[in-house]
Amino acid sequence: MKTKSIEHIFTPPAPHMVGDGFRVHNFIPGSYGLSMQRMSPFIMLDYNSKFYFPPTDKPRGVSVHPHRGFETVTIAYKGKVAHHDSAGNSGIIGEGDVQWMTAASGVLHKEYHEQEFSKAGGDFQMVQLWVNLPAKDKMSKPKYQEITKENIQKYALDNDAGTIEVISGAYQDTPGAASTFTPVHLQNAKLNTGGKAKFSFPAHYNTALLVVEGSIKVNDEKTVATDNFLLFKNEGEDFTLEALEQSVVLILSGEPILEPIAAHGPFVMNTREEIIQAFEDVNLGKFGYLE
Amino acid sequence: MLDNFKNYIQNHSDITDEQFLEISHYLKSKSIKKGEFVLRHGEVCGYSFFVSKGLLRSYTIDEQGKEHIIQFAPEDWIIVDRSSYFFNEPSELFIDAVEDTALVMLNEDFITHACNISTVYRAFNHKALHSHIRHLQKRVNLLLGATAEQRYLDFIKLYPELTLRLPQWMIASYLGLTPESLSRVRKELARRNFKPH
Repeated sequence: MKTKSIEHIFTPPAPHMVGDGFRVHNFIPGSYGLSMQRMSPFIMLDYNSKFYFPPTDKPRGVSVHPHRGFETVTIAYKGKVAHHDSAGNSGIIGEGDVQWMTAASGVLHKEYHEQEFSKAGGDFQMVQLWVNLPAKDKMSKPKYQEITKENIQKYALDNDAGTIEVISGAYQDTPGAASTFTPVHLQNAKLNTGGKAKFSFPAHYNTALLVVEGSIKVNDEKTVATDNFLLFKNEGEDFTLEALEQSVVLILSGEPILEPIAAHGPFVMNTREEIIQAFEDVNLGKFGYLE
Repeated sequence: MLDNFKNYIQNHSDITDEQFLEISHYLKSKSIKKGEFVLRHGEVCGYSFFVSKGLLRSYTIDEQGKEHIIQFAPEDWIIVDRSSYFFNEPSELFIDAVEDTALVMLNEDFITHACNISTVYRAFNHKALHSHIRHLQKRVNLLLGATAEQRYLDFIKLYPELTLRLPQWMIASYLGLTPESLSRVRKELARRNFKPH
């Protein structure tokens, strides 16, 4: 097996607010040219780097908005988020939890800082990732996978190097907690200082990592600092990480979905007509209603 | 910023790149932040505003201090107080930005020269005026006699993507409804059309 070589390391772009509750660096599609096609099946990545939100009585967040044609994956590192949707679902995710929402044919939802967290204030750190769906599944039934940290299997690395928490896909023989429509590996590597981990994904999978905490050395070659995003070339399979301090690294690798993409705001479909249809459906209440 | 306007004008006329360059010095472009004004009540409206990116609205404020939204202008729309612009009267309208907006300002010289260069543009401009009158006539009729649902259905046909960009109260203001009535209309449509899986 060949080493997966590094294409580029991106520093976090200037943050912007999503609603008033998420202060995010947008890496995908963003201003770096990490287009939906290049990064498929990962079509959007917003990273709320660790940020202190002061106490408030009115929870901050994003008001009602629709999604159609893909999945939203929210990974909570610090803080708590509550969500509600037009089908009557609601839930709260906290540190270490993951919400995997298959918007598919369409939901209206809203996301807010959880009430108690809002009142107390505190550090907030999250990743929101959009994972595309293949055309045949875009109009499938919406569903949720509420994945609590207890349900995420951990692979213990040798030599007390740390653990790999497998959100989806697999690490060695440890399966991911989430089911996916196409092959998607999403893993949190929690490494102790000096700890090493090896990964192997097919060359054609689009593969990247985000350093959520600490700093690491990749392939004994490049140092990647906190909040930086590393993209691998589509060459080679294997790469190694070495933690230069206590580190948390989100690993992303997925098989590209080689289909046309028509995207507008909260809808990601295959054709322009499907986008127009999505607007019409949401306006006519076909996604339901949510205050 | 001018590129979007150039595309727009070339889509509706036979104005060439060279001709556009010639008349483009009559244009001004400007970026404004959400909440900033391009026209205030009492001022004379010297320009038509073409939206390259973002969203403008025109509105009046009544004696009770309530806003009544006349028009929204998202990308590729032109917004202007025509009565102030053509008759040189103080405007009754405010025009401000609902989102951060990049716009192109067209003065009368620009329109005159564009019409002189291109009869196709002249015809387009003439037709645009009549389309606008048709739209206003329809809007008056809806405000006088249509149900809340009919007004909302007409709105989403005209501005299909604005429902995701505007707060409910602005849509309600445009439709001459209270936010509560608009909310009832949307709930009722969802009740009829939403099919839970």
